[in-house]
Amino acid sequence: MIKLLRAEYQKVVTTRLWWGMLLGTLFLVGVAVAAQIGTNGLARSAAPPLSTGIEQRSIFGTSAGGDIFALVVGIIFITVEFRHFTTRPTFLGEPHRGRVIFAKIIVSGAVGFVYGLASIALTIAIAVPWFSAKGVTIDWSGNDLYVVMLAVLAVVTIYAIVGLGIGVLVRNQIAAVIGSLVYLFVFEPLVAGLSHLWSWLGDIYEFLPGAAAQAVTQIDNTRGNTMLVPWAGGLVLLGWGLLFALLGWLEAVHRDVP
Amino acid sequence: MLPEAACWRRPSRSDAAACAEKDRFDGTCCIIEPVTETEPPRIVVSGLTKQFGDVKAVSDLSFTVEPGSVTGFLGPNGAGKTTTLRMILGLARADSGDATIAGRHYIDLADPTRMVGAVLEANSFHPGRTARNHVRIYCTAAGIPTSRADEVLALVGLTEAARKRTGGFSLGMRQRLALATALIGNPKVLILDEPANGLDPEGIAWLRTLVRHLAETQGCTVLVSSHVLSEVEQTVDRVVILARGRLIRQGTLEELASGSVGSVVARSPDPDALRAAVGSIGGDVTATAEPDGALRITGATPEQVGRAAWSKNVELHHLVGEQASLEELFLSLTAHATLHAPPSPSPPAPS
Repeated sequence: MIKLLRAEYQKVVTTRLWWGMLLGTLFLVGVAVAAQIGTNGLARSAAPPLSTGIEQRSIFGTSAGGDIFALVVGIIFITVEFRHFTTRPTFLGEPHRGRVIFAKIIVSGAVGFVYGLASIALTIAIAVPWFSAKGVTIDWSGNDLYVVMLAVLAVVTIYAIVGLGIGVLVRNQIAAVIGSLVYLFVFEPLVAGLSHLWSWLGDIYEFLPGAAAQAVTQIDNTRGNTMLVPWAGGLVLLGWGLLFALLGWLEAVHRDVP
Repeated sequence: MLPEAACWRRPSRSDAAACAEKDRFDGTCCIIEPVTETEPPRIVVSGLTKQFGDVKAVSDLSFTVEPGSVTGFLGPNGAGKTTTLRMILGLARADSGDATIAGRHYIDLADPTRMVGAVLEANSFHPGRTARNHVRIYCTAAGIPTSRADEVLALVGLTEAARKRTGGFSLGMRQRLALATALIGNPKVLILDEPANGLDPEGIAWLRTLVRHLAETQGCTVLVSSHVLSEVEQTVDRVVILARGRLIRQGTLEELASGSVGSVVARSPDPDALRAAVGSIGGDVTATAEPDGALRITGATPEQVGRAAWSKNVELHHLVGEQASLEELFLSLTAHATLHAPPSPSPPAPS
């Protein structure tokens, strides 16, 4: 298993994907955090003051904005093998395909974890000097910011695992990436909107992956839907991650390798 | 540059740590310990069947590939060669039947990379990854030191391209890289699917030498597929011929050649008289006119034709027996299979 983990790690670091996507993540997070701090206190801004706990939690929760990149990295990490047929030498070297998928799940999660760490580090690097320049103190423990940062790490890590599971199931890279983005940015918001009409839909919406991810950090509730409590959201998201990984695992073991 | 039998690397520093964990270090050399399989590395295919939708890609196929020899796996495109190889290698599931290597299914091999090296279509590379990194990954996965990557890349002549991304590789370079990947574990069994595709004549000659060397001096089992017999004719000892997913013939090249039908070419200033003379031989003799006026006669020996011409007073200017080439024989065998393939169910004729 150690050999497979090391081989999968080598696969990640020997192409340009991981740092290209990391740059994308950091760009997105950096712009979002800077915009949130920069616009705070402007005349038309409805955001609570920077000194409030809710706003500080919201800013640090914005570090999770790169989760979509972690999802895509997870998808590509496996679909690129199907696309370029490197699944053949991979499964010839380790014919127990489940072990390969398991190693990929671990390594994909680790990549997500690194993305989460980098996003949090960038947020701190932006927020700390800016806050002190504005003369606002950051109350790390009083405002539960540590909890928020842990939540961000969890969300980004699990998203990378979900991505891997989707990738094993769908196999086609373009379809998997486009499908996931459409789901997260079109389908879920649609369900969220419709759940204002039918309340039973709201009960389902809470348990969808995107909504569960939002529940973990308790931010970005622009749709005004009810959310699960953070730990429940985390469990639901983890459940989705494990479900996709398990389905992907079963698929990989039973289907013919292209 | 060919691999030595058992000693596959000599570490520059004299320490065992440079050898793979499963190797023995004798002071100068990393020696591959015999794989734990007790059976000889024979490939046995029995009753293999695979269907894609309504199409039977492989039906009830059985053959054996022996160690220490090179076996050609031949058949026209779409005969089911690649599907069969994929089932042997555990990449595709057989609907029924069995394929084993050294008495085990591929998935049950103790150490597949050291037992089997396979090249299936030479396009299994991430275009953004360098050749060296590609090979190193599979070394790592198999627990072989990554320095082995440079050795196999040198063996296939890719040292200079080792640090280039594979996206810019020619087909010939891809074939070489795929072969390098297959050789990392110094395997006992080598399975190559159309390895000559994209190789230049020099590359084909090199591949032939390598494959013969592995079979003769290391006792490897080599299975090489091709859709052109002449491509592998000089390399293989035995052939397994496949058409429409069915076994047509298996055996040595000599056995194959002995079954071929020869013909006689004869020329006379009076072709009609010659034709009449040949007709008097009797039996199943046919004579057809060649474009240059000569007669091609099948079903008779040159002696019979000569005697018939002499007895009928026909002047002969040319008389020679020709053996059909193996390639012609191969074509006739596989074409035969095509003609005699089981008919597809047709709608009942209108009464």
